[in-house]
Amino acid sequence: MPGDLVDVTLFSVAMAGLSTVLMLVPGLALAWLFARHTFPGQSVLETVVSLPLVLPPVAIGLILLRFLGRYGPGGQLLDEIGVDVIFTWKAVVVAMTVMGLPLLVRSARAGFEHVDRRYEQIAETLGASPVRIFLTISLPLAARGVLAGVVLGFSRALGEFGATIMIAGSLPGTRTLSTAIYTSTQTGRDTEATIMLLTAASIAFVAVFVSNRLATVE
Amino acid sequence: MMLRLTTLVAAALLLVGCAESRSDSADDYLLVSAAVSLSGPLEIVAGEFEQMFGTRVELNFAGSNTLATQLIAGVEADVFLSADERQMTRVETAGLVEASTRTDLFSNQLVVVVPTDRMGVVSNVSDLSTSRVGRIAIGDPDAVPAGVYARRYLQFAGVWESVRSKVVLTRDVRAVLAAVETGNVDAGFVYRTDLALVDRATMVFAVPTVGRPEIRYPGAVLTLARGRPAARRFLDFLGEPVTRRIFETAGFIVLARGTDHAR
Amino acid sequence: MFTVPFVLDFVLQQGEFTLQIHERFEASSVSLCGPSGSGKTTILDAIAGLRHPEDGRIEIANRVLFDRSLGTDLPPRSRRVGYVPQDVSLFPHMSVLGNVMYGTARGSPAPLESVIKLLEIEPLAGRRVNELSGGERQRVAIARALMSSPDVLLLDEPLAAVDIKRRERILLYIQQVRDELLVPMVYVSHAADEVRRIADRVIELDSGRVMATQVE
Repeated sequence: MPGDLVDVTLFSVAMAGLSTVLMLVPGLALAWLFARHTFPGQSVLETVVSLPLVLPPVAIGLILLRFLGRYGPGGQLLDEIGVDVIFTWKAVVVAMTVMGLPLLVRSARAGFEHVDRRYEQIAETLGASPVRIFLTISLPLAARGVLAGVVLGFSRALGEFGATIMIAGSLPGTRTLSTAIYTSTQTGRDTEATIMLLTAASIAFVAVFVSNRLATVE
Repeated sequence: MMLRLTTLVAAALLLVGCAESRSDSADDYLLVSAAVSLSGPLEIVAGEFEQMFGTRVELNFAGSNTLATQLIAGVEADVFLSADERQMTRVETAGLVEASTRTDLFSNQLVVVVPTDRMGVVSNVSDLSTSRVGRIAIGDPDAVPAGVYARRYLQFAGVWESVRSKVVLTRDVRAVLAAVETGNVDAGFVYRTDLALVDRATMVFAVPTVGRPEIRYPGAVLTLARGRPAARRFLDFLGEPVTRRIFETAGFIVLARGTDHAR
Repeated sequence: MFTVPFVLDFVLQQGEFTLQIHERFEASSVSLCGPSGSGKTTILDAIAGLRHPEDGRIEIANRVLFDRSLGTDLPPRSRRVGYVPQDVSLFPHMSVLGNVMYGTARGSPAPLESVIKLLEIEPLAGRRVNELSGGERQRVAIARALMSSPDVLLLDEPLAAVDIKRRERILLYIQQVRDELLVPMVYVSHAADEVRRIADRVIELDSGRVMATQVE
C-alpha cells in the first residue's frame, strides 16, 4: 500500500492541480462578469454555476454521466472525435473542475467587487485595453480573493468524491485519495483510510498555508 | 505564481501520460464493476486471474446502485458483481445483461454486534426490546439491502413494533459499524464480512437463515462485454476452489457453481 | 498664450440630478467651480467618457469626443484625456514609476524627461505609493496623466489632499505644465484664488446649471 499511497497521492494532486488550472480562465471570467456587469440571464447563469454547491455531488455526477455518457449529447460528440472521457483520468478532471469552479467564482467575485471601479476607469483613460486593465489592475487588486478562490477550488477538487466515483469510477487509473478512502472505509481498512485522510488533510493544510503566505507578500 | 502553475500542469500531464493505459483490444482486458463490499477478496482474486489467464482485470468499486446507474448511462463494463439483487435486476431490465450468465455468486449473513465494552447486555433477539438497550442501528431500508433484511428479520422475530422507536437508520452498513464501535448505539445489524477487521465491536449472535439464503450477490456478464470469453471465464473463476477459499476467509458464503451449496 | 476651442454642450441625467451646460469658447485652461454637488466632477467624467450624456456634444481642440446627433461616443481609452481624479487615483499595487509609465504604452513618445524633471519625480521613482504624502501623490498622478500625451488634462481638486504649506508648490507645478508643456486643462476647484491663478476661463456651477462664466 505505501507505494500505492504515493501513486494515488501524486495522481490526486496532479488532477486537482490540472482542474484548478482549467477552472482559472472560465472561473475568473465568470467572477469578473458577475462582479462588474449586469446582463440578461445573469441570475440563471449564476444559479447554474452554483449548482454544484447546492446539489449533492452524486447528483452532479449523475448529470455529468447522463451528458457525457455514451447516450448523452456530449458523449456522442466525444465519440465522434474519438475521445474517451468516462472512466478515464479526464473524467476525474471534469468532476473536479465542475465541483471546484463555484468556489473559485464566489471568492474571486468577492475579490473583484472589492476593487474600486475608479482604478479601472483611470486605467481606461490612460489608454489601456480591457484585457490590459484586467491583467494589470483588476486581477492584482483582487489577488487576495482570487488566491483564496484558487485554494478553495483546489481543495474542493482534491476532496471531490461523489461526482468522481460516478463518472470516473474507482479504477487503478482513476483512483483518487477520496475514492480510495471510500473503498478503504467500506471494507474496514481503517488504518489505510486514516493514513490517506491525514495525507489529504496535510495537502489541504499546505495549500492554505502557501496561499496565506502569498497573500501577505502581495 | 504563474511558474508554480506551469510546473503543476507539467506534472499533471506527465502523470496523466502514465495513467493512460487502458486499451480496447479484445481479450486481454476486462473491466469489472463490483460492489465495494467485495473489494478485499476480489482484489486478490483478480490478481490470481491475471496470472493464470494473462487477462488484465480492472476493478471498479462503488455502491451497487452507483454501478448500475453507470452501466445504464452507457459505461462499457464487462462484468457486473452486485451486492443487491434489485440493482442487478435494474441493469437486466435495461437489456444490458447476458441473460444466461446471471448467477448468484455469494451469500452473506446478517449479524448483531454490540460495543465490546458493553457485552452481556444482548445475547438474543428478544433482548433488543428490553429497556437496557437504547439505540439500535440498521442500514436505511430505502438505501441499502442490509436495512431491508434487518427490518424483515425484526418483523419476523416479532420485535419490530417494540424496537421501532429506538432504531437509527444509516446510509450504509459501515456507518452502523462505526456507530457501534464508537459506542453511540447499543447494538447494530451488520454483515458477517464486516467483522474481519473490527476490534471495538463484538458479534453477539447471527441472524439465522432459513432455507434458501436471503442475502445474495448476483453476478453477470454484460452485453457490452468486449472480451466476452474472458468475461465468462472470470465469472466461472469465482466458483473455483482456490477462489472460494479467499472469499470464505473474508466471511462470505460462496454460492457459485461447483460448490456444495444448494441453489 | 495658446488657446484651444472647447465645446461643452450637453445634458446629462444622473438619477434625480440633471446637469446642463451649453458652453462654446476658446481657452487654455478652464476652471469649473461651485459648491459640492454642483456637477463639477460629473463634467470631468463626461469629458473622460466615464459618464454618458443624454444629448449634446463634447469637443476639445477640434476633436469630437461625443456627439449624440452624429452617434459619436469615443471610449475613454481613445479620448486622450489625462484624468487626475480627486480621491483614489494612484494604483496602490504599483511603484511610483509603474504608475507614471502606465499610460505610455499608448504609443506617441511622451515627454518623459521633461515631465519627470518638471514635476521632480526622480527622487520618488522607486517608492511605493502608500509611502507618499498628499502632495507627492498629486505630482505623481499629474505626471502619470501627462505621460499618456493627453490632448487635455482634467484636474479634480488637485489641492484638496495637500496641506496648506505645500499648495503653493503644487500650484506652481500646474502652471508650469500649462505654460511649458502647452497642455490645455480643465481645473475643478471651489477656491476662488486658485481658480484665478490657473484659469483664463471660469465657469460657475450650481445644482447642475451654469450660473456665470468669466474671462480672466
